[in-house]
Amino acid sequence: MEYEISLLTIMGISIIGALSLNLIVGFCGQISLGHAAFLGIGAYTSAILTKAGIPFFIAIVAGMLLSGVFGLIVGFASLRVKEDFLAITTMGVAFLFMGIIRKQEVLGGEMGIAMIPGSGLGKFGYMLLVMLLAGALILFSIYLKNSWMGFTFNAVSADENTANLIGINVANYKLIAFVLGTAFAGLAGALYAHNIRFIDPESFGFIESITILSMVVIGGMGSVWGVTIAAVLLSIFPMWFQFIEDYKLLVYGGLLCLIMIFSPEGLSGISEKIYAGVRGKRSDASS
Amino acid sequence: MNFRTAIRGLLFGTLMAAVAITATAAETIKIGVNVPLTGFAASDGTSALNGAKLAVKQLNDAGGINGKKLELVIYDDQASPKQSVPIATKLIEKDKVVVGVSCSYSGATRAAAGIYQEAKTPYISAYAIHPDITRTGNYVFRTSFVGEVQGRAGAKLAGEILNKKRAVLITLNNDFGKSLVAGFKEKANKYGITILNEYPYSIKDRQFGPIIARVKADNPDVIYATGYFFTAGPLVSQLRAAGVKATIIGQEGFDTQTFIKIAGPASEGVIITTSLDRGSKSAETKHFIEQYEQMFNHKTDMVAASGHTAIKVAAAAIQAAGSTDRAAVRDAIAKTDLVAATGTISFNSLGEVIKDVQVQIVKNGEFRHYAVISDAALLAPPAQ
Amino acid sequence: MLFFDLLVQGLIQGGIYSLIAIGLTLVYGLLRILHVSHAGLYTLGGYIALLVTNLTGSFTLGMIVSMVGVGLAGMVIYRLIYQPILNKPPFVALIASIGMFIAMEEIYRIIFGPYGITFVDPPLQGTFTVANIYLRHSEIAAIVLAVSLITALSLFTRYTRIGIAWRATVTDPEMAQSFGVDVIKVRYLNFFIGSAMAAGAGGMVALLNNLVEPTMGSVPSYKALAIIVLGGLGNVKGTVIAALIIGISEAFGTIYLGDFLDRDSIAFALLILVLMFKPTGLFVRG
Repeated sequence: MEYEISLLTIMGISIIGALSLNLIVGFCGQISLGHAAFLGIGAYTSAILTKAGIPFFIAIVAGMLLSGVFGLIVGFASLRVKEDFLAITTMGVAFLFMGIIRKQEVLGGEMGIAMIPGSGLGKFGYMLLVMLLAGALILFSIYLKNSWMGFTFNAVSADENTANLIGINVANYKLIAFVLGTAFAGLAGALYAHNIRFIDPESFGFIESITILSMVVIGGMGSVWGVTIAAVLLSIFPMWFQFIEDYKLLVYGGLLCLIMIFSPEGLSGISEKIYAGVRGKRSDASS
Repeated sequence: MNFRTAIRGLLFGTLMAAVAITATAAETIKIGVNVPLTGFAASDGTSALNGAKLAVKQLNDAGGINGKKLELVIYDDQASPKQSVPIATKLIEKDKVVVGVSCSYSGATRAAAGIYQEAKTPYISAYAIHPDITRTGNYVFRTSFVGEVQGRAGAKLAGEILNKKRAVLITLNNDFGKSLVAGFKEKANKYGITILNEYPYSIKDRQFGPIIARVKADNPDVIYATGYFFTAGPLVSQLRAAGVKATIIGQEGFDTQTFIKIAGPASEGVIITTSLDRGSKSAETKHFIEQYEQMFNHKTDMVAASGHTAIKVAAAAIQAAGSTDRAAVRDAIAKTDLVAATGTISFNSLGEVIKDVQVQIVKNGEFRHYAVISDAALLAPPAQ
Repeated sequence: MLFFDLLVQGLIQGGIYSLIAIGLTLVYGLLRILHVSHAGLYTLGGYIALLVTNLTGSFTLGMIVSMVGVGLAGMVIYRLIYQPILNKPPFVALIASIGMFIAMEEIYRIIFGPYGITFVDPPLQGTFTVANIYLRHSEIAAIVLAVSLITALSLFTRYTRIGIAWRATVTDPEMAQSFGVDVIKVRYLNFFIGSAMAAGAGGMVALLNNLVEPTMGSVPSYKALAIIVLGGLGNVKGTVIAALIIGISEAFGTIYLGDFLDRDSIAFALLILVLMFKPTGLFVRG
């Protein structure tokens, strides 16, 4: 069962990571190409603290907080720069964070940080914890989406200027979205650190940011269950495609491309089409 | 053919197939391999895996191990710790491998080592260099040099054998480069070497103009350059084109024919520390080099030799243990005294390999024997 | 002397960056798409140039075939990938482009192998030496190529009918269309020219390194994005200047800031700094 447990744990962590980006990108419409760096902050913080003897749960929370703080800083940047500029800025911020970590020996440098302590819960217990947290975030996302904050995010995402006109403090909401999104990213990162027990700057690089973003886009931006399913599928994609070994990455790239061309709204878009089709048939049948 | 006969036939056939499958299954000894076959590390991964495959072929052609054939269970980990961990769990639990071999880089190996240690399954790192890998526990071994050891050999090579005293370090900024340089710096004083300057570069760099400009100003008589063939090739080529005449010392990352192809005539005279002696009189090494070239239509390299050696060590241990009991195999690995393609292999208490350092020089477009460093005190790997 | 050496190296690198970035900014200017797979075309340019040179012995022929071939490939990518999704939100094109790029890198690895390929008989291997300055012939060729292509582009957009029509379309597509400009043709032209220039860069880099690898586009894939943002998205002149600035900053930065920041961070740190003061890049959108 160990193998299945390890897969489920990875899935859970990916769900948290993807949903956290969904808050920023899907709910609030702000583009972020550097999300992995915030997982990195959570991971490094938790790793360093636990290695210094601080208890697991406190370290995880510390990771979340620090990520949120950095997220706030980046959030301020999002007030200055817009859209595509913001996308590249977030990408740049991620490179900068990781670039600095690479050079600081005290943060592990290129070698990374090894022998990160476990959670003390055992493999099964850890998986349960991760699943619980993932479930909690799913519920929170749904709640948020249907709350007044969610509606406001939606307004900001759809049309900033109009939102401003009707009295919404757009800036504040953007910041809130960034802080929430990055804090949860920090959580995902910390959980990752104690799962794999080894982290290095490469684990939180540009490629990782793109992977998380593709989970959000393929799931259907804003759709909680869509993003969750996409996270589940894409996180264990390498494992269930092992049999095509050599062509794995090619298939992955091709799929990303094809899904965007044929179903840009992602999984939630596909399901909506099917649903509409079914309803169409039903109403045809009844008339 | 009536219905009942058909059913009976089907059942019989299935039964035979099941017997055949279980019989075949019972006949192989499985060694698990995690290796980067896609992604940025694909070239090293492909080489290492090829070396491993050659080893399996050689062993199976000679009758297998303990009467059974060897089988490699191979998974692509893209040199990513995130993937090597579930792969390790799968190999141990589902594929029930006797031993695991890592043909991957340090990050992935380090992460997987923890899994193997916890599951009390032996794990051999073919060429990954992170010192913490063997510190994971007594089930983890490494058949290639720890960076520091090779770096120390480099210092002896530069200062004593080549008698060069003014050095510049061009360091690949990852665990490989940094651990090599740490070893070099550790012993530089002992061999009278003054380090004038050190210049780090990234694994993605191919243009070294700025660094070379500084090196020209430093005017060293030897350059200790760390890197892989795809950085070393351009680096060496550009150094020579800029008029830098200093001797260039590289390491096993240079050890592939592609390095020579890239640098062309500039590669002449480059000296490297490595584990593959192309001038070796050892039958094991000679056969490895010849058969590799035959089987893969490509000249061999250090990484391939490392993969080959790791499999040979695993197989020899399984043979010595006489069983596939993982604990017994682990003990047998610890007692290894084997002649492999990369030299005579034995391990210290930490699981680090003890073997000579080969020094090769590029002459007439090929790597050739130059020297051997067997200074046991100098080359002693860390024991904890 | 050191200063001069670093400056020259920075300009060479900047020149190569500019050839790549121009194509990217052209596509953005016209279609508002971040065309990440452009880096895959750059790599393809390297492969074709090297292979044709190895086959025919002529580097010039290799470069020409490469630039034309990749120009066409760029047009194909527009038709297959971007045209179907032009009216979708920007993410869609971005992710599709990234997927395409990953697929391209993999195709190169599968077809040409992971080790990379080299010239059988590398051309332009000589070095030009004056005083203590060493410039490889290949480096001089790179500068010449970059300057010629950029000048040619500039002349083209100013003095030819097609060029003027193209510039008009980039500035205001609807107006241009009402004047009878075939917008679709302009788009194809856009992709052809941008991709051809990237191929030129690819061929040059193949020459400078004597190595073409499947992953050689990964650094340009994100660095070119930084460059075009710095230059002001869509502004060709700005992009060229930004490319040179980044090339030079990296040359000096890796030496003097190397203990603190790695190479990629230097470019991005610079970008972020500029954006804080000028949120739309150094120059306004062309």
